[in-house]
Amino acid sequence: MELEELQSAWSQMSTELEQQKKLTNDIIMKMTQEKYRNKFKTVTTYETMGAFVCFCIAILFLAKFGELNTWYLQVCGVLSVSYLIILPIMVLSALKKIKALDISKGSYKDNLISYIKAKNRLLRLQRIGVGVGFLGMFFILPVCSKIISNKNVFELGLKTEQVVLLSITLGITSIFCVWAYKGYLKLTRSAQELLKDLE
Amino acid sequence: MPKEAVFTDLIREHQGLLFKVTSIYTNNKQDQEDLFQEVVYQLWKYFDSFRNESKITTWMYRVAMNTAITHLKRKKRRPDAIPVADAIIKETESKDDLYEERLRQLYRHLEQLNTLDKGLVFLLLEGKSYKEIAQITGLGDSNVGTRISRIKKKLKTNMAKS
Repeated sequence: MELEELQSAWSQMSTELEQQKKLTNDIIMKMTQEKYRNKFKTVTTYETMGAFVCFCIAILFLAKFGELNTWYLQVCGVLSVSYLIILPIMVLSALKKIKALDISKGSYKDNLISYIKAKNRLLRLQRIGVGVGFLGMFFILPVCSKIISNKNVFELGLKTEQVVLLSITLGITSIFCVWAYKGYLKLTRSAQELLKDLE
Repeated sequence: MPKEAVFTDLIREHQGLLFKVTSIYTNNKQDQEDLFQEVVYQLWKYFDSFRNESKITTWMYRVAMNTAITHLKRKKRRPDAIPVADAIIKETESKDDLYEERLRQLYRHLEQLNTLDKGLVFLLLEGKSYKEIAQITGLGDSNVGTRISRIKKKLKTNMAKS
């Protein structure tokens, strides 16, 4: 097949589409109103809900901070609160930047560059989230344990079956983290190549 | 004439254009319809900002293509998804086998291009001059020429392979 044949197929399609005027005024106006679905609206809703849960837990940790009676539990508390506040704020701000693209004004090239950069920022944050989330288990769990059941996990001895269960959990979580991290890397790589080509 | 009436006339008049833009950035009927709807919404949202400094179709191309950028999805193959080329064939009620086969091949080749190249090829297929393509995409005139000849080579190689 030659390029000219592609062009001719396109022209034939254009001519035939020109003759199709299936949209009615009602359908068009509906498209401008309630039927509109924006995928970022959905993502933002979920992220906002997630952020709200994180903030509530952070507030609970802060309110009960006095119960963390050793220096290492306090360090875990500070790390937990920071994680629960900073990461959601950064994710929401990255989403805000994607939504701030001015579709009506910027050129295709400018918007493509801005979009790739904003999307990569979001993916990078999600990547960091996966990594820190794994480490987070080590500082959030002791805080939860102390606040909820007043048990200091650092001072409790672990039984053999608990050690086995913990090792299995850590193994599965590590595999998931590596898989998710690789997925994010793959997603950003082709976008980075395009960005390099554009700039 | 009320604004709504002007807008609906515009969309009815150029629905073929919008259909084509949305078809090259999606790979199945459902995504194409979603993107079409989103483009119409964006055109309506920014309708007041159109200043007659360029042709209305140039503005429509720009808004539609810019909207498509933010709509890109990871390619998910669903067994029940209708490929976009088949959706067009149905839409145009074609009975020409050769044209149908060419159209399917055309979309197969377009699917392999990156977002920028897709946009450039689309405008080229639409019969736009390098100058108009530069105006819509924001690339320099000579840059457009260089990129298009590179894409043509890439397409030729892909076509030879298939």
